[in-house]
Amino acid sequence: MSQNLVESGAEVSSDRRREREKLVEIRNLKTYYGESGLFGGRPVKAVDGVSFDIFNGETLGLVGESGCGKTTLGRTLLQLEDATGGEVRYDGTDITELSGDELYQWRRNAQMVFQDPDSSLNDRMTVGEIVREPLDVYEWGTPQECREHVKELLDIVGLRPEHYYRYPHQFSGGQRQRIGIARTLALEPDFMVLDEPVSALDVSVQAEIINLLEDLQEEFGLTYLFIAHDLSVVQHICDRVAVMYLGNIMEIGPTDELFNNPANPYTHSLLSAIPKPDPTATADRITLHGTPPNPRYPPNGCPFNTRCPARIRPPEYEQLDDEIWMGINTLRDVLLERQRADRSLRERIRERLGRQTRFASVDETYDDLFGHLNIPQDAASVLDEIVDYAADNDEDQALAVLTEEFGSVCEKESPEYSTVSETGRQSFCHRHSEEHARPSEVLDERY
Amino acid sequence: MSNTESEQSMTDTAVRTDGGTETKQSLRQRVLSNPEPAAIWLAGLALLVAVELGRFVDWALTIGGGIKFILDGIVATPTWVGSNFEGTLGFVAGAVASDITSLLLLFIVAVFLRAYLPFHPDEKLGLDLSRSRHLWFERGFVTAVLAAVVSVLVFTPIGAALKNEVGFYVGILDSLADTQTLLSRETIPNHGYQTASGSWEGTFLGLSARSAWLVRFTMVWVYAAVVMSWLWRGYNVYREHYRRMDWTPRDDVIDRLRSHNWGRFGLVVVIGFIVLALFAPVIATYPIQENVYEPYSQDSEFKYFNEEAGEVQTALHGDANINSRSQGAGSQNVGINQYDDYGRYAPLGTTTSGEDLMTHIAYGAQTSLSIGLIALFLALGIAMLLSLASAYYGGIIDLMAIIGTDTIISIPIFVLVLMMSVVFQQGDVWIAEPMDGGLLLALIFAFAYMPGMWRSIRGPSLQVAEEEWVDAAKSYGQTPLAIMRKHMAPYVMSYLIIYGSLLVGGMIIVTSALSFLGYGVSEPTPEWGRLIASGRNAVSTQSWHVSTVSGAMIAIVVTGFNALGDGIRDAIDPQAEANAGGSGGGA
Repeated sequence: MSQNLVESGAEVSSDRRREREKLVEIRNLKTYYGESGLFGGRPVKAVDGVSFDIFNGETLGLVGESGCGKTTLGRTLLQLEDATGGEVRYDGTDITELSGDELYQWRRNAQMVFQDPDSSLNDRMTVGEIVREPLDVYEWGTPQECREHVKELLDIVGLRPEHYYRYPHQFSGGQRQRIGIARTLALEPDFMVLDEPVSALDVSVQAEIINLLEDLQEEFGLTYLFIAHDLSVVQHICDRVAVMYLGNIMEIGPTDELFNNPANPYTHSLLSAIPKPDPTATADRITLHGTPPNPRYPPNGCPFNTRCPARIRPPEYEQLDDEIWMGINTLRDVLLERQRADRSLRERIRERLGRQTRFASVDETYDDLFGHLNIPQDAASVLDEIVDYAADNDEDQALAVLTEEFGSVCEKESPEYSTVSETGRQSFCHRHSEEHARPSEVLDERY
Repeated sequence: MSNTESEQSMTDTAVRTDGGTETKQSLRQRVLSNPEPAAIWLAGLALLVAVELGRFVDWALTIGGGIKFILDGIVATPTWVGSNFEGTLGFVAGAVASDITSLLLLFIVAVFLRAYLPFHPDEKLGLDLSRSRHLWFERGFVTAVLAAVVSVLVFTPIGAALKNEVGFYVGILDSLADTQTLLSRETIPNHGYQTASGSWEGTFLGLSARSAWLVRFTMVWVYAAVVMSWLWRGYNVYREHYRRMDWTPRDDVIDRLRSHNWGRFGLVVVIGFIVLALFAPVIATYPIQENVYEPYSQDSEFKYFNEEAGEVQTALHGDANINSRSQGAGSQNVGINQYDDYGRYAPLGTTTSGEDLMTHIAYGAQTSLSIGLIALFLALGIAMLLSLASAYYGGIIDLMAIIGTDTIISIPIFVLVLMMSVVFQQGDVWIAEPMDGGLLLALIFAFAYMPGMWRSIRGPSLQVAEEEWVDAAKSYGQTPLAIMRKHMAPYVMSYLIIYGSLLVGGMIIVTSALSFLGYGVSEPTPEWGRLIASGRNAVSTQSWHVSTVSGAMIAIVVTGFNALGDGIRDAIDPQAEANAGGSGGGA
């Protein structure tokens, strides 16, 4: 696809969008796992308070790393998971409140295409039975009418009517995904959640399925929520994109704008991970260090602060080396881990006696992280103080000092959504307020 | 959709198997449009059934009798509940309680019948109900209709008339069941006597008693083999001419089973066992009623040639049995393939009480098979429901199921069965009567084996509950019950078949072990384990056959069931690990 084509297409659709009304409004939606139950402990915060709108007839992309909660968000929108809090308004009704018959009646409006076509079709049923089942559930017409309708649907998705009597495993992955799409179309929904519909397919087949989905949207006026981690596919098919990290929407806005001029530091780093076909391109990649935090223990403040390349640093330490900052971040992770770990009585005694425990001593950690670095005096003294506290097993105090000295607004307060362009693009970052430098400037400076 | 054309041609080649012609017709129409293969097959089947019509009708009546037994029990519950209430709360409370119980029972029936309603009563009445109200309305409607029908039958003479009518048809069936069949004692009699001249009187074509019995015995197996091959042919006819699909996944399963030697051995043994049980009245050397159950009744008199007196005399089976006992130790013995003093041929010898061992073995197979099947289906049904529900809902239901079944599992299965059968048999409850404790044993087995069964299929159930097609079904509003039935049960079913066939072997062993100890199936119902127990003192003597034959039968049949289970498992899932879940072998 040429860049031109993508841009013009996106412009047209974003113009169209403004005239359209909201189909789905999501407000402060939360989905936590493992909260209820007999031995409920800290829940896993898969979706931690997201708010956005999906407009009639658009394709909204939802991107993010694996495990960031995008599939859970999609499933919650269809009530396959129970929302812990917040609301999902579909045409004005809050569907998280629906149950029984109302939920049953609503379900035909919204359907889902699943990621793995091998697992989403029941192999013991023929293709016809699979596509027909939703019709039977809603007691749609006579058996004869149903059969005719299913054959039409098979035709629409590019299969042939005689495939009705075949079994799914007689088909290739792309064809199986077509069967899945035919099934979702059976009830003529308005809204479809596409959960990585092409990521399990060969590249050549991906294009066919994407084209099919686009044709169907045109023909039936469907609204898509397109969940993906392949950014090039998202750039191709989506009108708008939402970027998700650790259960939060980091940035949401029109596709072309977001791809060409990202506002959020996380979007910057995601986009810089796309391989450039130009071998002479020299732009430095932003590499994110470490792994995303455990969603059971999300960090305070901004969810991205542990890995953010544009994190706000206290002015007195602004000149510290990047490697030292990396070390400080790692030290904080280690301290948090130690704080959470249960210490058995036996381990406490061993520690008292100066024996080895499974907790490596803090001094070793310090040596690993900072031993080879040249640390300015002021920072070094603070680090020594932190290590002293930690050596006494007073992780709380050590963390308090660390946050006090090296922390900033990023760790202390949750950011607000700021509108960053005329099209209403929003970004979830402290750096959009007046007193801080823009993320893009900081990143240019640091990388 | 400009590129659909090219896509179609591309995707076509990707279809792995070809064929599958489009047919919109129902099976009936497909048969009518090409009637020849079906007609030939059906004619053959009709011929096979016709020669044994009496026996088929007899089996149907037996099954009908079993169903009637269960129905009578259910019908008796409202009265029973009512009388319990009446005893404490007075007549009115009793009447109300029995009415409520009847309505509840009818409602349960209505839940199943609702799907077959030819029209929607709420739509006729112009009511606009939501889905669940619509369901409840229809169930209520069907209950009301049923209640009306039942009241009419109970409180008006129509009921009595209907009963007469049914009785009349059952009478016709009874007389049909009594008609002579090709394979029967009447057609091929084997019980006669040898006159002084050496010729045989009263046997088939004047053959010796031994040859006559052998002819009948062989005929049974030939008939069974012909029926089985004809059924197989029928499946092939259906597959070739009438099935919509050219190929289904089940075809591969059958092909793999056909090339699995160990599994084939198992299949042959199991079919043989079933034939032995079903044709026990023909295979048995003498009618069990005369030889075992009522040997001293007038019907049990037979003629024999008394060599000392030199003339034909009559004797009762009971008296003859006393003189034909196989008790070893130099005294009396009628061994394998011998005649006793009364000219009675005993293919496998006699038991310690002088009864014919072949008769015992054949009817003992019937006992084992009935116990095994009743227990198996109950245990499978409960285990299936429990595992599907606990896998689908999870949470507290799952936990309750785990706790409940763990409690049962914690007691060794043989001890549990032993305790329960002692308690119930000492308590002399009505359920201990059918089959001299056989039915009770089946129910106890169902209870005791169900948790292990549930455990074995819990894993597969949890696995299939996580599949995306289950989510997909939820997303278009399929009901939980339908999801379990259509999207989960078929995947668990194959495991049930495997574990079930292994379980039957275990049940046969435990039944025999209990009977051996004197607690299982009591006299006079024939049972293999009791034969072993009675003959075990004589194993080292000339009467070795009593324990040995019955013990060998148990060993072969149990091995057969295990082999069949292995074969089916390998056929269903070629990659399956060889862990049979500890259900085979029983105690």
